[in-house]
Amino acid sequence: MAKHARQGATPQMNITPLIDVVFQLIIFFMLVNNIIAEQSVQMIVPRLDHSLTHELTEGERVVVNVAPGNYAPSDRAIDPLTFDGRAHFVRVGQRTFGMDQLDLVTDELRQWKARNAKVEVLLRADAALYYEQVSPLMTAITAADIHTVNLVAYMPENENTQ
Amino acid sequence: MSKRPEQPEPVVVHHVPPRKKRAKEPLRMQLNLTSMIDVIFLLLIYFVITASFTADEGVLTARLPQGAGSPSQADLKPPSIPLDIVLRSVDVSSVHITVNNRLTADSFSQLYDLLISLQKDYPPDNPLLIKPDGQVRWQHVVNAFNAAVRAKFSNVAFAAQ
Repeated sequence: MAKHARQGATPQMNITPLIDVVFQLIIFFMLVNNIIAEQSVQMIVPRLDHSLTHELTEGERVVVNVAPGNYAPSDRAIDPLTFDGRAHFVRVGQRTFGMDQLDLVTDELRQWKARNAKVEVLLRADAALYYEQVSPLMTAITAADIHTVNLVAYMPENENTQ
Repeated sequence: MSKRPEQPEPVVVHHVPPRKKRAKEPLRMQLNLTSMIDVIFLLLIYFVITASFTADEGVLTARLPQGAGSPSQADLKPPSIPLDIVLRSVDVSSVHITVNNRLTADSFSQLYDLLISLQKDYPPDNPLLIKPDGQVRWQHVVNAFNAAVRAKFSNVAFAAQ
């Protein structure tokens, strides 16, 4: 009887380290998701022919979002460009500015640059926005003594390589 | 223990209990973690998938209007005439592309071919200026920039409004 009981109990796996690792992974992905989501505004960025977009290198970055009006994703699923081309607000990092406050955007970017001279500026504008809406913002970025900017667009897809 | 014959119980029980009981009990006290692991794996899969969706966007590094990044390029060279790419909006999804006020392209891959053919006369470091009118959609502006960079032009700028 004693022998029987012991045989039934032995073949159990020790899954404690597995759970440890899985928990670490979950926490990692939750944090990464939050960090990415915090700096991004919902929009459809440009989709390019034979796109040369590349991943950003490591380093501190600040995203300058030029947001379109509110929309439901299904409204623009077929043709993202058929949409109001006026920008609604600008978000730099986590701070939001109106389209008439571009001098404040310049001040904000100056502060980013003062903190880290090598900060990468990402210009993330919706594909449907008019150039006349984005252009003043590029001038505002230049006024902060930043001369190169990273334009955000979708990464190339397989169908574009033909 | 195995050598124990079929004997009356009382004798054996009397000798064994203290140590044996202690060894066996911790095994029975284990938590059942299976359902928790199920849930955790589902969460893990969810976060892995959503994280890869957000990584869909990439960047094109560009120079800004008036931001004449490196003036040293212009040294010791005759002033070069910039190539102009003018974009005029036709309707929502199409633009009219003109290069140097005379050559036209219907699409951005045609613009690329045109720029490649122009490289006989214009070296890759020749300044290239993208001049969109105000109503051109941002997608077309970035597309023109992408075509210029793809044609290996290294000095591409946007005209300010």
